[in-house]
Amino acid sequence: MHSNRLGWLLLAPTMIILFFFGVVPFFYVIWVSFHQWNPFAANPNMVFNWASNYRQVVFDAQLMASLGVTFAFVFFAVVSELILGYLLAQAFMKDFPGKAFFRTIHTLPLIMAPIIVGSIWKLMTTPSIGIIPSLVQSWFGLDLNIGQSALAAFTVTVVMDIWHWTPLVTLSLIAALVSLPPDPFEQAQIDGANKRQIFWHITLPMIAPAVVATVFIRLMDALRTVDEVLMLTGGGPGSATRYIGVHIFKEVFPRTNYGYGSAISVVVLYMTIVICWLLYVGLIAPRNTKKG
Amino acid sequence: MSNDTEKLAQEENPALVLAHLVEEDADRAPSAATGFLPIETNWFDRVFISVVLWVALSLFWFRFLEPLGLSIWLCLALSLIAAVFIIRKG
Repeated sequence: MHSNRLGWLLLAPTMIILFFFGVVPFFYVIWVSFHQWNPFAANPNMVFNWASNYRQVVFDAQLMASLGVTFAFVFFAVVSELILGYLLAQAFMKDFPGKAFFRTIHTLPLIMAPIIVGSIWKLMTTPSIGIIPSLVQSWFGLDLNIGQSALAAFTVTVVMDIWHWTPLVTLSLIAALVSLPPDPFEQAQIDGANKRQIFWHITLPMIAPAVVATVFIRLMDALRTVDEVLMLTGGGPGSATRYIGVHIFKEVFPRTNYGYGSAISVVVLYMTIVICWLLYVGLIAPRNTKKG
Repeated sequence: MSNDTEKLAQEENPALVLAHLVEEDADRAPSAATGFLPIETNWFDRVFISVVLWVALSLFWFRFLEPLGLSIWLCLALSLIAAVFIIRKG
């Protein structure tokens, strides 16, 4: 009984902070989403308008376009990060000269604030002064201008996200790979399994929980990408990189449309939860599926 | 006592009998369901699935059915019926 009380006491600070910074804002956003609230409109007060904001959400063509490019961005970014992260993790499992130095260097993007990453990439991709358009021009003869080409802007935002977040995937997968017991691999080698068979039948099933957790983290992060993209492209050209976070930002801050912005946020949160839940059900739950 | 326990008792193995009795009396997963859902769920999972379904149905209703004149309250009623069904039978 005593240890139980001590446990609650130790948990209390975290739970209190979580309550005020997680639970209260969550319900506040839901509450605001049922109001019309624009402090700079003719009526600056909050006016309860039932589910009108949600009605507006499902007819918002700009929002649907934003969702489309967001899902494309998330797909390309997360899949690339996972593949690259795994390859890097496998590389770090082997010994090579300068391994410790390179492992430190490769995690540097992780410690940068997203707004700084956006600034760096903006400098690197600005035509005439940036190194990337210059290299692309000299190597491939292509004119890379993210201010004019929608495809170039989209690709650069994906590459920037990969550059920023692949180290996180690598670190997670290194931790998973290091903790694997050597016996199954030795047995598989004795049985004559090749590298591909070992990967599909031993490595991947054993690191699956770490992979799924990493995918969840990256998926949720990528779905709410704002600052990097806002700094790099501002959501343009046109709406080519107006990802959902950028769309919400533009709706809430420049237009001060708090009620509608909250409704979009709630819908995006709903979609994020559902996607993660479906992934969980698809990848983890089959192990617990009922027999017969 | 079940047949297994009686058999163990005849074999005079008290430790095994005790272990078997403990196992028999052990609480099952509090609300592990064996309903129509393809995954094993507890009551919280089924409430969650009901809420997810309610929100999805409401958004669908706003977009496609409300413009035809069907009230959103009908959607709410259908969602509640579905929720009760999922929570009880899911």
